[in-house]
Amino acid sequence: MDASLLTIQPNAPEPIYRQIVEQLRRLIAGGQLAAGELLPSVREVAGFHAINPMTVSRAYGLAEAEGLLERLRGKGMAVAATRRASQSESQRLALLEPQLLELARHARELELPPDPVLRRLGKLMGD
Amino acid sequence: MNAMLSERTSAAASPLAAHGLTHCYEGSNVLRGVDLALEPGSVLGLIGRNGAGKSTLIRAMLGLLEPLSGSATVFGEPALELSDDAKARLAYVPQQPEALAWLTAQQMLDYVGRFYPRWDAEFAQRTLERWKLQPNKLLAKLSPGERQRVDLIRALASQPELLVLDEPAAALDPVARRELLREVALRAGESGTTVLFSTHIVSDLERVASEIAFLHEGRLLLRCGVDETKERYARLWLPAAKSAAAPALALSRRRHEDGSLSLVVERDAQGRWPEAAHLPGARIDALGLEDLFVEIAE
Repeated sequence: MDASLLTIQPNAPEPIYRQIVEQLRRLIAGGQLAAGELLPSVREVAGFHAINPMTVSRAYGLAEAEGLLERLRGKGMAVAATRRASQSESQRLALLEPQLLELARHARELELPPDPVLRRLGKLMGD
Repeated sequence: MNAMLSERTSAAASPLAAHGLTHCYEGSNVLRGVDLALEPGSVLGLIGRNGAGKSTLIRAMLGLLEPLSGSATVFGEPALELSDDAKARLAYVPQQPEALAWLTAQQMLDYVGRFYPRWDAEFAQRTLERWKLQPNKLLAKLSPGERQRVDLIRALASQPELLVLDEPAAALDPVARRELLREVALRAGESGTTVLFSTHIVSDLERVASEIAFLHEGRLLLRCGVDETKERYARLWLPAAKSAAAPALALSRRRHEDGSLSLVVERDAQGRWPEAAHLPGARIDALGLEDLFVEIAE
């Protein structure tokens, strides 16, 4: 993987370390990053995007704790060898969290109670 | 202010620290009691509007002006009586460098390089070319921006332990600015350089700073990690009908013409927003640093 695959928006409300983890999640879930693929070093990412190396370390550390990445001795970080099918339901649900938060917010602004929203969502999902 | 972090670093361990600095020019207060200590290896971005006192604070912290009251230390030494050893470990780039104007850029760099034990002549040479500076032109004949670029090269080539930059971005085009940020970020991350830089370009700071300090009307309004700041504060908007339920504690409070209210609010220790955020019609908006800065500096 190349450091340029990541997109950093320094002025977004979302902290940069979260932007990195979120993109890793998607790249891995979407198969663009295969198990075992090596990640660019902290220095490469920090240098390419002119961001603080501590931010990149923090993102990698978090992704490792989440099981997305694993540290290979002497080689750096790589995409964890777990298969996609083994992602638990809660892990997959977590990927939807930003959209769900946004939906919840819109519903509150429209002063809609949860029930009709959930019914409609159920219909949309082919319940 | 409740948002202010307590100073964690003692003066002795901090490469750069201010204690209760006050200063005034012609009777008007520029600094009204500033406490600020940098942790080794951190990158602190100082933001504030023009005239907020950023340059005065920096100059007072480095002992370049004598404050009305309070004190500053550099590597634990009183800033007003720095030893040569401390000076050799420190590099400061003012907004408008004026020193040694009768030399050419090349002569100046060759000359000052002798005083720094870790001078990187190769870096100086390479960066002069990359930043398109004519080595044989007198410094006095350079534009203010070119002059500051030469001074940035001087500061970086000395490989300081403490690097202090006053509005470095103003002199640089976007490509050179990105290069400077890269240097700052990598040196802090890898060589443990402590960096203080002031800017009003907030996105620069968001890239490389580990912490920010908001200076407003001579006081520090906020001192926080960059990531924590983004996660901890948000704008709460309340419709007019609910504005009476606004939390009493807010960093800023703005009443709009229709009676609705915008507040900058903070999560509590459990990570929850104030209760009013859950009222019907209320909205919580995440804030980038620039928006946060505008909200609280208005």
